[in-house]
Amino acid sequence: MAILLRQTFIEIKLFLRRRSELLWTLAFPIMLMVLFGLIYGDSRWTGMDMRSVDYLLPGIIVMGAMMTGIIRTSIGFVGEREKGIYRRLSLTPLKKQIIICSQLIQHYLVIIVQTVLLMIVGVMAFKIDITGNQLLFWITLSVGALCFMSIGFALTGLIKTVRSATPINQMAYFILMFLGGLFFPNSMLPKVVGHIANYLPSTQVSDALRAIMYQGAGFGDIWQHLLVMVGWIAGCLIISIKFFRWE
Amino acid sequence: MYNIIEVKNLTKQYGDTVAVNGISFGVEKGEVFGILGPNGAGKTTTLEMIEGLRKPDGGSIFINGIDALKEADRIKEIIGVQLQATSIYDDIRVNEAVALFGSYYKKSIASRQVLAEVSLIDKSHSRVNALSGGQKQRLNIGLALVNDPEVLFLDEPTTGLDPQARHNIWSIVERLRDRSKTIILTTHYIEEAEQLCGRVAIIDRGKIIAVNSPGDLINNAGLDTSIEFSTAQELNGLSQNLPEIRKIANGATNKYTINTKAVSRVLRDITNLCYENNVELENISVRKTTLEDVFLAMTGRKLRE
Repeated sequence: MAILLRQTFIEIKLFLRRRSELLWTLAFPIMLMVLFGLIYGDSRWTGMDMRSVDYLLPGIIVMGAMMTGIIRTSIGFVGEREKGIYRRLSLTPLKKQIIICSQLIQHYLVIIVQTVLLMIVGVMAFKIDITGNQLLFWITLSVGALCFMSIGFALTGLIKTVRSATPINQMAYFILMFLGGLFFPNSMLPKVVGHIANYLPSTQVSDALRAIMYQGAGFGDIWQHLLVMVGWIAGCLIISIKFFRWE
Repeated sequence: MYNIIEVKNLTKQYGDTVAVNGISFGVEKGEVFGILGPNGAGKTTTLEMIEGLRKPDGGSIFINGIDALKEADRIKEIIGVQLQATSIYDDIRVNEAVALFGSYYKKSIASRQVLAEVSLIDKSHSRVNALSGGQKQRLNIGLALVNDPEVLFLDEPTTGLDPQARHNIWSIVERLRDRSKTIILTTHYIEEAEQLCGRVAIIDRGKIIAVNSPGDLINNAGLDTSIEFSTAQELNGLSQNLPEIRKIANGATNKYTINTKAVSRVLRDITNLCYENNVELENISVRKTTLEDVFLAMTGRKLRE
């Protein structure tokens, strides 16, 4: 346990030291939120029962969670793997589970901080009225974060080098972002595409978060969303077990 | 002294290529044991099997009496390893890296002591990515020392380093040797093996072809010493006057090479001959036999090609 804490502490310390990564991770979603907030103001998309900014906040929260959960998880891991860091660590008594867990915790904490910052901006700057069950919100977000991180780890098994990591990650990220109902409802997509897109984890988390935040949804209303996410986690675990590589 | 490492019949095959072909040797406690051979001879594969990074196809490895193939976790606590291509987190500071690695072990020595050992005290607050190649390598050796290991593995510790950085590494190894730390190192540098190692295993194409002290390897090889000299004018009657000489190569501009075992007598004969013929001796050198010559004689090939 002490080892896990120490390893996690180092992971966080090193993340805070990588200034450009830190800035990008924390500031970019906020910039996007502010930008959309200024563009849309109090306006609504036609046929929508909430303002556009209200709709966008959970979308950008999920986008931020994917940036860290998928992209930073997999590119960070592939980079360290390629540098031979894990090979070196495998010669020490350090357990491999500790390495994985410390990374999961580090990324999870970043997602929490990101989300809190976005909510503060949303509430303070754009008067977004968040009414729903807080506990359920964080549980849902956590399941989503775990889901994205498992996608990130599954990708590390499929990606050979850092060079190929970026394009593969971008592809996954953009599909999940634009077909995940983050910036506009999936009902605006062509019917077939929209139907498939509804099963993406990004759609599931963002829909669930929106329902919790604005419509007072309870566990009974969103359990199916959670179930689909758990399904994604299970699928990614299977891929990870089959393809995961330390070297 | 007992053998702290005992390796028997180690083999490793990659596809159709046999990388290591039945290697056996023992390393005594407190000695610096070198594995010398050209690139691709199987040095690193051998070392990495002993360290536990690769699984051998056959053979046995015992370190300090522990079966390394069965009790990998116990082995990790008592060995220190500097890998050939190794790296740690870019943004970590030197002292943090040493403390972090130390925290992985049940028993570890103070960071400051480790840093002093590898002469990095003044760099302890530098980030790893700001270190020079030689400093990085010293840190790698430092990280291998944090648990005060029974055996230290150095895989080509000076490859790719400039001469000064190489000498720094050598003095670190010499200091450790003077304190009777058991070290097993691979190298393809002759001077490194001769300078540091008490015993050297010469390895070629996955097999050990000789194990001995560098001095005995050279003496036992029974090789000639090569004497080179040049003269101002042509020197007549060399072959008549030095009949026991095995080979006289007459190059351009009155340059001569003689390979002989009777160094003193040949030198006397050369100087006498020059004196008698009134020919001035311009240059003379006696090149001592090195492990390179031994390797060449044993395999018909050069160490570095």
